[in-house]
Amino acid sequence: MVAIAAQNIQMSFMSGTTETKVLKGIDLAIPSGQIRLMMGPSGSGKTTLLSILAGILTPTAGQVQLLGQEITTLSRKELTGFRRDHIGFIFQSFNLFPALTALENIELALQLKGYKGPGNKEQAFDLLKQVGLGDRANNLPADLSGGQKQRVAIARALAGEPELIMADEPTAALDSATGHDVIELMQYLAKNKGCTVLIITHDPRITDAADEITYLEDGILAKQSSLVSGFH
Amino acid sequence: MVSLARKNLLKDLPRFLVAQAGIMFAVSLVTIQTGILKGFTRSTTLLIDSSAADIWVASENIVNFELTEPFPYVQVQRAQQIEGVALAEALTIGSGRWYSDGKLTTLRVFGFDPNGQLFRPGKVSDTAIKALNAPYSALIDRTNQRSFRIDGVGDMARIRQLPVMVVGFARDTQSLVSSKFVFTSLVNANAYISSGFSSGLTCQLGNGDITCVNAYQRDEDTGNAEVVDPESLNSDSPVTYILVKAAPGEDVQLLKQRIESSLSGTKTFTKNELINTTQSYWQNRTGIGFILGLGAIVGVLVGMVVVAQILYTSVSENLREFGTLKAMGASDWDIYSVILEQSLWMAVLGYLPGLLLCWSVGTWTAATQGIVVLITPISAVGVFGITVVMCVGSAVFAIQKVTRVDPGIVFKA
Repeated sequence: MVAIAAQNIQMSFMSGTTETKVLKGIDLAIPSGQIRLMMGPSGSGKTTLLSILAGILTPTAGQVQLLGQEITTLSRKELTGFRRDHIGFIFQSFNLFPALTALENIELALQLKGYKGPGNKEQAFDLLKQVGLGDRANNLPADLSGGQKQRVAIARALAGEPELIMADEPTAALDSATGHDVIELMQYLAKNKGCTVLIITHDPRITDAADEITYLEDGILAKQSSLVSGFH
Repeated sequence: MVSLARKNLLKDLPRFLVAQAGIMFAVSLVTIQTGILKGFTRSTTLLIDSSAADIWVASENIVNFELTEPFPYVQVQRAQQIEGVALAEALTIGSGRWYSDGKLTTLRVFGFDPNGQLFRPGKVSDTAIKALNAPYSALIDRTNQRSFRIDGVGDMARIRQLPVMVVGFARDTQSLVSSKFVFTSLVNANAYISSGFSSGLTCQLGNGDITCVNAYQRDEDTGNAEVVDPESLNSDSPVTYILVKAAPGEDVQLLKQRIESSLSGTKTFTKNELINTTQSYWQNRTGIGFILGLGAIVGVLVGMVVVAQILYTSVSENLREFGTLKAMGASDWDIYSVILEQSLWMAVLGYLPGLLLCWSVGTWTAATQGIVVLITPISAVGVFGITVVMCVGSAVFAIQKVTRVDPGIVFKA
């Protein structure tokens, strides 16, 4: 089954009277349970494509189906609901809420997804333990290292067991070893929980974690290669 | 439940405290202005409120409690004869000047029957009231003690050219907009009011109406001449009100009509009617209500500006957080509720210390200045409502800002 599918995705931005075409007809199909890396140089349109696939941006043309649901025809409210129910996000700069502890960051994500029972805290703590931060539950993000922050962000993305994880440069702010640890963790958890993972990156150190890599250049798919990861 | 609003609010404690100080200021301004307005309007009717009369009979030209015309004492005797009247007592009000230690203070004299039942000057002992039967004796409000330069009971002073001995102190009588109150018996009051003047009240009955002319003539200074006891009231002696107690089971409205038709040139009020008439005069026909109301509005505006500025800055600094929330699937209402919760916390945490401050200030002004800042449970709830509306209303700008946040912001490093 295809978890993420896109046909003829086009995206243009107007700058004054000048139209800039960022994406020039992208076709994509990512099977369920796959970890897909999207690579390419800066300005190639990776982040724009991720925003469209996540239902944050509406493409100028083309269709996107997530888990069999056509999302380009959904209203803004419906898209918000779809993201909440089916997608977990991981960001380059972690985007943790600085006033909340690690545990509360995950609790908040659970709350948003409608988990409001007394078991919320236990569930959040369980996720923290899965990313190896059970002993850092009450630390504020400012008291965590970069790798620890990204682990919290991964735990947050997994809150509510979404079918899709979308990550934007998750290792860019981390050193090599930490970045590799984080990707290994993502790979392990994704496989364990049956998530489909789309990772935008230009970090060549993590290619071995992917099932498949898509290369994007100047708004078009340059090539696609399948890999057999040593972590599987 | 994790409260992002509360956590964000307390994240930067110094800024939070500055914001709360602003809200406290606004709450205090609104509470004190409205409290003074309420305290002042209430102070104008304290004496009516503490009376036991069912009906107040006044001149038909009455404007407010202290601004009315006298009528002859004979009307009191006539009122007593009206069917349904259980008791009728006179109250007279006049002006005077208080001399003590060579200093002059203007005053308002209230004369009543110390042996009567219907008028009582605030909180005062029965002994003190009975002592008013002595010639040239008077009660003053405790808050006026310093103004009158009186150290205690037994101190002497002078009202116009007549001596006065303070025989006791009353509480909760003084109107904030009047001269200092002095309470005495009817005969003493009549002497004090007309002291230095000769007066003559001439009344004519014609076509069922009584027309009275009260003429005063300034007397020559009597110097150290021997002071004689005040004269008893006669039929022509001017009085200001007749206080009426209705007979048990008597319909007060019907009795009012009966009194008005029996005593020409009079207008009757129940206690509440006279209170409303007087308070309404001070609130609406003078600029006082407007000025104090304006002060309260300024307080609300200042509070709104402070809260709006703090919330807007908070949202601006946390745009990425709100973008993240949006990307994660937070609905517009989820986002708004964070801001609204912040504004509600600000309202509550600014209101409580603000009210406490006002209550302390009010207690101090009442004790030392005799100025009551009236904070009733209803007004406290009202000010809380205003504070909530002020804070929530201020969140509009922050909500507008966050509504425009592009969730795509989260993908920017």
